[in-house]
Amino acid sequence: MMLRMPQTVLGRAGAVLLGALMALVIIGYWAFRQGIEDVAVSLRERTLAERLVSIQRTIQSIAADDERDRTAHGLSSTSLEVHWSKISLVLGNANPKPEASALESRIRILQPDLKEQQMRIGFADDGALGTGATQAYAHMLLISLPLHDGTWVNFATPAVGITYHLPYHILLTTLVVGCGIALLAMVLLHRVTQPLRVLATAAERFDLNSMEKPIAEFGPLEVRRAAHSFNAMSSRIRTLVAERTQALAAVSHDFRTPITRLRLRTEMMDDSELRSVIDQDLGEMTAMIDATLDYLSAGSNSLNRPRKIDIVALLSTIVNAEKDLGRPVELFGLPHAYVFGDVVSLKRAFSNLIENALKFGTSARLTVCNAQAQTKITISDDGPGIPEPDIERVMEPFVRLETSRNRSTGGVGLGLSIARSIVLSHGGSIRLVNTFPGLSAEVTMQSIN
Amino acid sequence: MDENFSEPGAERRREDYGRILLVDDDAQLRLLVARFLERYGFLVTSVEDGTNTREALERGSFDLVILDVMLPGVTGIEICRELRATSNLPIIMLTARSDEITRVAGLEGGADDYVTKPFNPREFLARVRSLLRRARLTNRTTNATQPNRATFGRWSLDLLRRELISPEGALIDLSTGEYDLLVVFVEHAHKVLSRDALMELAKARMPDPFDRTIDVQISRLRKKLELNAERDQFIKTVRGTGYMFAVPVTFESA
Repeated sequence: MMLRMPQTVLGRAGAVLLGALMALVIIGYWAFRQGIEDVAVSLRERTLAERLVSIQRTIQSIAADDERDRTAHGLSSTSLEVHWSKISLVLGNANPKPEASALESRIRILQPDLKEQQMRIGFADDGALGTGATQAYAHMLLISLPLHDGTWVNFATPAVGITYHLPYHILLTTLVVGCGIALLAMVLLHRVTQPLRVLATAAERFDLNSMEKPIAEFGPLEVRRAAHSFNAMSSRIRTLVAERTQALAAVSHDFRTPITRLRLRTEMMDDSELRSVIDQDLGEMTAMIDATLDYLSAGSNSLNRPRKIDIVALLSTIVNAEKDLGRPVELFGLPHAYVFGDVVSLKRAFSNLIENALKFGTSARLTVCNAQAQTKITISDDGPGIPEPDIERVMEPFVRLETSRNRSTGGVGLGLSIARSIVLSHGGSIRLVNTFPGLSAEVTMQSIN
Repeated sequence: MDENFSEPGAERRREDYGRILLVDDDAQLRLLVARFLERYGFLVTSVEDGTNTREALERGSFDLVILDVMLPGVTGIEICRELRATSNLPIIMLTARSDEITRVAGLEGGADDYVTKPFNPREFLARVRSLLRRARLTNRTTNATQPNRATFGRWSLDLLRRELISPEGALIDLSTGEYDLLVVFVEHAHKVLSRDALMELAKARMPDPFDRTIDVQISRLRKKLELNAERDQFIKTVRGTGYMFAVPVTFESA
């Protein structure tokens, strides 16, 4: 099975921590067990050696054979079986295994009394057993010590490999402590990685139109540096864009005076036909300048003075003005709907949408309704709609569909972008839907009471 | 100061007379505006900045001031505020369209109207005429403290910002025509106004040639005013005579 690498810093750090903890537990347990074993073995060997000598002496001091046998039995214990016999239980000729020899030498060192004595030692399994009772002594370590009269004391003890149960309580403790540490570490890591998440969110939300405060520079050094760089970068971008915007706005703005002068000059002209044509051109230029300035300020200026407004009253002002111009625009739906926003920019947004509807269709129909704490304003026309692939694109600035590139329907291509910027800066949303026939622009805004 | 021109041929009206002070920093524009207004019989004095404005005001008397917002040195808004402190001289501000803040500041500074550049000369002329007519009609006193808020029922009308606030605390958008009509009603509460009287009083504020008849304006205004409240009959129809604003109005000045 392929283990997937965790994707988050937290996950990775957690995995590293878990691995390290597991290694620590395993190695620690092994070392611990090794130590316990060493102590236990040496303790056992010392006891064994002592008992060997004392039992040998006890039996040595007894004269009667049956008494010797009884005493031997009496001295037996579960860990050490003692027998007295005339012959050695361990065969003298058996080739002792290295373990057996090593044990023998250790016992001799531990118990100086045994140093000079003859001693036979071997494992029953290795064929050291003199008698035929191999089965009875399976896995047993056998030691035979001679007495002065040539008889033997035979010892049988379970093989040296100490078996003892896993210390469950130690494992449990280790596990609990390990989990505790891991949990604590995760909590701390979560806190340490918090500034990274803040940074990521700030980068995701970066928006030129909303003046967000610089993000807080906190946390580990690297993250602080990243946050600082991010702040510096975003302010550079803002400055750059602001400069460009200002330049463009200044130029557009400065066009106003010469256009005003031209308008006054044409007023003096006698040729009324030429005058009206020039007026029309000037009107177009003005519209372009206004659209550009609106676009530049749509996002940033629109929420300068936000307040509770009746969107229906606002829409009816626009609709009535259109009706006065003899245009077929109708308003339906709720008698009131309150939203939070800026009158001037919202008026601009909806005017643009209505203008658009009238540009491509013959009439516009506005509907205001409520849907789950949202106010939805639909502006529908009966025009040809927009080809599905272009429906997203038309809201981009300066985009005009090929079909609209003529004088009557033309324009700068900013109307929808301005409307969208304004609606978005009000926390609302806008989408275009083909309704076959016609196109609907659906604006959704948060309702307030 | 620019030379005075007088061109015959332009359609003049009976009320086209008066002295106008024009303040703008663009010499060409000053000349053109002056020439344009003089064609219609107005006497135009044009100056380029605040200092000259003060001098001109000291030297002569005027019926109307046209002030550009963007002036070198003292801004148009400051001049406007200064002027308003001592007189009720009608003021039209020239602003840039995108400069919404300027517009509000200008109106709060006491300007009577504003025209955005680039303006349509005829619309501009209509504004000048209507403001002059209104000033002459209302016979302004020299009392500089004008009310800036009118309240009726639980409604409030901000006369500086030109904003109507509903009992729900919401801003009710009004067209220029509707606003002007409402102001006429509010200023003449409990008086029966004939269509002609309303037309005469409100027309002063309605230069838009496309404006519908007074009845349409009133029905629109009623719709905006009365749908919010439980059938408050603010604007009553007086059969055969005209209309009456039938709610007590309180004026405040901050």
